[in-house]
Amino acid sequence: MKEQAGHKHLMSQMIAEINDIFAEIGFVFAEGPEREKITFNFDALNVPKDHPSRDMQDTFYLENDPEMVMRTHTSPVQIRYMKENQLPIKMICPGKVFRNEATDATHEAQFFQLEGLMVGKEVSMGHLKGTIEYFFSKFFNGEVEVRFRPSFFPFVEPGVEVDMMIKKNEQNKLSGRWIEIMGAGMVHPNVLQGVGIDAEVYQGFAFGMGIDRLAVLKYGVDDIRLMYNGDLRFVNQF
Amino acid sequence: MQYSYNRLQTYFKETLPSPEILADKITFHSSEIEELIPLGSDTILDIKILPDKSAWLMSHRGMAREIANILQIPMENDPFLVEPNLVQSDKIQIELQSPNCDFYSSSLIEGVKIESSPAWLKNQLEVIGQRSINNIVDATNYIMFGLGQPLHAFDADKLANENGVYKITVRQAALGEEITVLTGETYKLDQDDAVIVDAVSGNLIGIAGVKGGQVAAVDAKTKNILLESAHFDRVAVRKTAKRLKLQTDAAKRFENGISRKVAAIAMGELVKKVIELGGGSVSAQSFSGEFSESRKAVTCSIEKLNSVLGLNLESGDVEKILQSFGAEASSVVDGEIKLTPSFERDDLIIAEDLIEDIGRIYGFLQIKSIVPTKEKVQKFNQRFFYAEKIRQALIGLGFSEIYTSSFRNQDKVKLENALASDKQFLRSTLTQNLIEARQHNIPHRDLLGLSGVKIFEIGNVFDIKDEEFRIALGVQSGTTYKAKTDEPLLVVALEGIKTTLGQEPELLYNQEGVVEFSLDKLISKLPATEAYETLVTYESNQYRTFSLFPAISRDIAMWVPEATEVQTILALLQENSGSECALISHLDTFTKEGKTSHAFRLVFQAPDRTLRDTEVEAVMDQIYLKVAVAGFEVR
Repeated sequence: MKEQAGHKHLMSQMIAEINDIFAEIGFVFAEGPEREKITFNFDALNVPKDHPSRDMQDTFYLENDPEMVMRTHTSPVQIRYMKENQLPIKMICPGKVFRNEATDATHEAQFFQLEGLMVGKEVSMGHLKGTIEYFFSKFFNGEVEVRFRPSFFPFVEPGVEVDMMIKKNEQNKLSGRWIEIMGAGMVHPNVLQGVGIDAEVYQGFAFGMGIDRLAVLKYGVDDIRLMYNGDLRFVNQF
Repeated sequence: MQYSYNRLQTYFKETLPSPEILADKITFHSSEIEELIPLGSDTILDIKILPDKSAWLMSHRGMAREIANILQIPMENDPFLVEPNLVQSDKIQIELQSPNCDFYSSSLIEGVKIESSPAWLKNQLEVIGQRSINNIVDATNYIMFGLGQPLHAFDADKLANENGVYKITVRQAALGEEITVLTGETYKLDQDDAVIVDAVSGNLIGIAGVKGGQVAAVDAKTKNILLESAHFDRVAVRKTAKRLKLQTDAAKRFENGISRKVAAIAMGELVKKVIELGGGSVSAQSFSGEFSESRKAVTCSIEKLNSVLGLNLESGDVEKILQSFGAEASSVVDGEIKLTPSFERDDLIIAEDLIEDIGRIYGFLQIKSIVPTKEKVQKFNQRFFYAEKIRQALIGLGFSEIYTSSFRNQDKVKLENALASDKQFLRSTLTQNLIEARQHNIPHRDLLGLSGVKIFEIGNVFDIKDEEFRIALGVQSGTTYKAKTDEPLLVVALEGIKTTLGQEPELLYNQEGVVEFSLDKLISKLPATEAYETLVTYESNQYRTFSLFPAISRDIAMWVPEATEVQTILALLQENSGSECALISHLDTFTKEGKTSHAFRLVFQAPDRTLRDTEVEAVMDQIYLKVAVAGFEVR
């Protein structure tokens, strides 16, 4: 039998593509640990203890390590990156995150998120919109428009939900309609001050989205659990 | 929360836009609409209220204020503009011993008649998903959904009194103290929980801010009632409700930090509503603690506002927005915005809060994109760069990449709150998951046209303290024998990695066809890259659902004249193999004495059931027949 080439997992393919798109505009690929300090996962991101905003994400705690959690989002990488790097900052972080919630076709206890962060002297929501449109236009191969709706995430202010629309195109089933895609906003001054950045001088945007959701949209994956069960009947399709 | 369109309308003289238009306005200027439900002559707006706004927006009055702001129309009846007017009487003595309660008010209404609520009230509660109980309890709920203030009514005759004096104390519970609540369940409390106590009898009559006690429940025979409107500490209520798993509407509102002044206002509204619905009269009223709020002015320059939002607002634009803001005071002078929030707004503290509110009222849809410029990356991610190189090398050797769970049934680091018993630990190696995935994939080899399973995973593993970036590779070429330690396929793969990177990995595990090693260690020995490689793109397939039923394989070999094309034979096989043949692969070929032998493997699988051998035999018989007709000789 003729030996075929193997297959790169769809998640790895997407992460490589995401990096390729963002590297063009100077965003650094950052990383952080999956088992994270509670202070970085919550407190430094303006999510106080005993506040309803902590309930927004169901968290896995560790039995003998009261100071650590399985990170519930890639946002703590913002904190790590801002602490260790010089301004201005442009970074993305694709990474695995964990949520303690029942699984189904659209929810997994572990999945991948893409974080984005840009901090400088004059970074505005206009840059946020332009950057997201640039990314989606490349990723979905078509002109993409985005719009913001008011929302809330403790680590941004203002906080927005982002919808995107791919320009109508007969070949693309996703095109021509608004799709809710991610959360974003302007980095909360408490977050900046917490890592020693003068929020009077600097400001920035941050965004976060599920990469699995991108797979659902772009590749028609109808059950994201297939991404993580090691089944080649899934892997070898891509 | 569910809002009644008709009830929202009562706060305005002007006719509101249609529910659809209103929903659209709320979506783009305030909060997400979950659902719009037409219900008789009303429409319910189910709106998701997020934590930053829930202190003041989880009520019809709060939403009406928001609508007034968005539509820039005046509110007709705003109960929050009326200063509370509470009186003190000796007939009710309130003592606040708990640090979790800073304001408590109580009113005694005598001579009420308990009845079922009038139709309009029943309807008002039912449309927003609440059960009507009786006129008095319904009045407390009606006011709560109106103003956001949780309220309670006790049957005064079920409380003890001392010479006609009622004594209410708010104190911390004793450890192990128990209370049976309205719905009949009994809860064991501890010192962190605040309770409402009938100080004459010593009975616990409520869990502060969470739920009322059964002992003083209003029933059909109730004649005299003692009403409660109070303010409890958000964190304390949150902890109690969480521990007791009693997430009531009341607890939710307290934990969101509703203003204490609303408690004083709501008492006035409640007394009016109770008398309107049940008759009777106020015979005493008392309060203890403080209900006033003082809000500090927030300032922000228009320059900063525009710089954050990416807009070009002028003083006039901002002034127009502030006019309908409902703030205690606001001004725009020399490009400086100054606003003193109304008492219920606990979320306007820093400039950014003001920027968000002005921005969303003006409309985030107005923001124009700033196209990013091409720019060189300042720093390259070594782990990503080298992991990609390894992936390419392995894929070239026929390995496929898998991702598996970070959790195991047994390992070193245990989760405190695992989802399932087989996912209680963090993985400390990749090997175990890889062995299981290899086993899982063995039966699918034929279906996938593979001679063996060759897989790898790249990911993080967890020791007691450390986290490491690793790779594991696993191979198995047969089903019947165990993979060997010196499996030649693995030797080739490791050689491939060594050639690609110029470094040999130190194996942490090497048994039965599986190896694992640390990428962190390996990469630390490699030179730092200063450019990413060109992205290798793959055919962008759409995902196709696959059958979960087992496949059956059959091999066929035949002699054909030397000149016969493989395509011709494949076409013949495809034509006769039926709709359930998932794959035909060409296995081998050789020529002997002017004849050529070709061997093929046919894999059968049904989308909806397990195929029977006899079904496959029938198809194969047909194929044998057709092959013979074509003049080929089955071996």
